[in-house]
Amino acid sequence: MFSTELVAQTAISGVMIGVLYALMALGITFIYSIMRMINWAMGEFYMIGSYLQFMLVAWVLGPDLWWLAILISTAGVFLLGLVVQWGLIKPIFKKPPEMRDDYATVVTLALLLFLRSIATGLAGPNQFTPGSTLPIMMIGPMPMAGARVAAFVFALAALGIFWAVLRYTWYGLALRAASQSRVGVQTAGIDVLSVDRVAFGIGVALAGLAGALLAPVFLVFPTNGMITTVKGFEIVVIGGLGSIPGALIAGILLGLIESFGAAFIDSAYQNIYGFLLVLAILVLRPTGLFGERGREA
Amino acid sequence: MTAAQPLLTVDDIHAAYQPGVDILQGMSLTVAPGGFVLVIGPNGAGKSTLLKSVFGLLSPHRGKIELGGQPIGGMAPHEIKRLGVSYVPQELNTFPHLTIEENLNVGGWTLRHDKARLKERFERIYEIFPALAGRKRDKAGSLSGGQGRMLSVAREMITEPRLMLVDEPTVGLAPNLADQVYELLQIARKATSAAILLVDQNVSDALRHTEDVVMMNLGKVKAAGPVSEFGEARVHALVQECLLG
Ligand SMILES: Nc1ncnc2c1ncn2[C@@H]1O[C@H](COP(=O)(O)OP(=O)(O)OP(=O)(O)O)[C@@H](O)[C@H]1O
Ligand SMILES: [Mg+2]
Repeated sequence: MFSTELVAQTAISGVMIGVLYALMALGITFIYSIMRMINWAMGEFYMIGSYLQFMLVAWVLGPDLWWLAILISTAGVFLLGLVVQWGLIKPIFKKPPEMRDDYATVVTLALLLFLRSIATGLAGPNQFTPGSTLPIMMIGPMPMAGARVAAFVFALAALGIFWAVLRYTWYGLALRAASQSRVGVQTAGIDVLSVDRVAFGIGVALAGLAGALLAPVFLVFPTNGMITTVKGFEIVVIGGLGSIPGALIAGILLGLIESFGAAFIDSAYQNIYGFLLVLAILVLRPTGLFGERGREA
Repeated sequence: MTAAQPLLTVDDIHAAYQPGVDILQGMSLTVAPGGFVLVIGPNGAGKSTLLKSVFGLLSPHRGKIELGGQPIGGMAPHEIKRLGVSYVPQELNTFPHLTIEENLNVGGWTLRHDKARLKERFERIYEIFPALAGRKRDKAGSLSGGQGRMLSVAREMITEPRLMLVDEPTVGLAPNLADQVYELLQIARKATSAAILLVDQNVSDALRHTEDVVMMNLGKVKAAGPVSEFGEARVHALVQECLLG
């Protein structure tokens, strides 16, 4: 009864959604690895990305230019991230208070509530979808919704660009260095606060990109970032906070587990399977599969 | 501007990590261009805090700091770096997961748009430190303590600074390695004609390399002068005085 075809299809759809979850987790982990703070408002940047995508497709560009809308939405969330870091986060980091993490937590939680209220106020309880004119595509013998395939391809491309920037550019070197020693980059003459700004922008842009890509799949509403954020944090626990390869591998792992759980056990509990894996990891390996052993404070 | 103008002037600075608790309480000193000044003093005297203040990691709330006559108090570290100051902190200052070459690249950040100059500086560094040249592609985390020190000093030499602030470079090193580190500082100084402001607990060794000595206690100067005035007996007596309060 478990046909190879079903297994293959389940695996493919698991990997496809896992990569999108990984974007979210990567955003969380990347901001943490540079700034040593958790941005609790990630889901709201996801939400903003999805609204931007909806508005651009529905009102400005039309469904055929969905790909351009994705680029603009992501860029928009990136810019918003720069502004948020500059206005809300940087003032905390300018002073060296011991309580920096706690302040950052309070500020991003406040931001979460603020952005969510604005969205509720402006858009009301309605759910929107930018729709998609992409046809069903065949992945091997498997039919897949075009929007999902497109989201997967875009996410892969984004991950590739992210990796190449980190690996091959001067700014990427500064980002990698800053994640290892903040004093170290300062002694090198790098403005660590501007590194923070770019890192925060990139981190939330990854969430915004996920929101824009998943808008036609999971709908657009004020709290639509919540589930994906929970998945993002699950992945971070599985993969290890601060680990970029961990975020990718754990993202795909979570996608696979959900997909197989839904197909072969019960689809009603789809959101539970990942959670069970999180519990297992917390018991067996509390720092995650690829987590750092100690923080270099 | 006269020829005798100091490169660095620290004048009566007061600095605190927490408001109301001044660690530096009226600290003053000067460093001549190309000079070598050794700062000694008991644990907690504020030696590291002095270097952090000069490099802009902590901004003094009173007093002034000038580099070549230009006020730098309150500037950010990356701005001070651009004026030709390098800082080698007390803690090991390498990026363990980057390769040695990448570590040096980070050190060359301010020169990144000048490829030719950067290349020339790299060649120079590898010439001075062949041990690093042989391990370019190794992760810095795999270096021994002494080699790690070497890398952090080398990284700060790439910009050929006018002033190097060096905090306890020999702490925890075997005596022969400590000698190597002092050699290193002398090499850095000769290679780039940088002035050196060295903080060190390893007093007897450091005294052999320095020109001037500043003894700190409780955030200000206890005694200062050319090294000739700091014989072993006097240093010993001064340390006793500090410890007895
Ligand atoms: N980040 C910090 N926050 C709060 N207090 C600090 C901090 N760094 C140092 N201090 C305090 O400032 C005082 C001076 O410290 P500093 O590191 O400048 O001393 P030092 O002379 O370098 O000592 P050592 O020889 O042990 O390195 C100490 O009392 C220390 O507890
Ligand atoms: Mg010290």
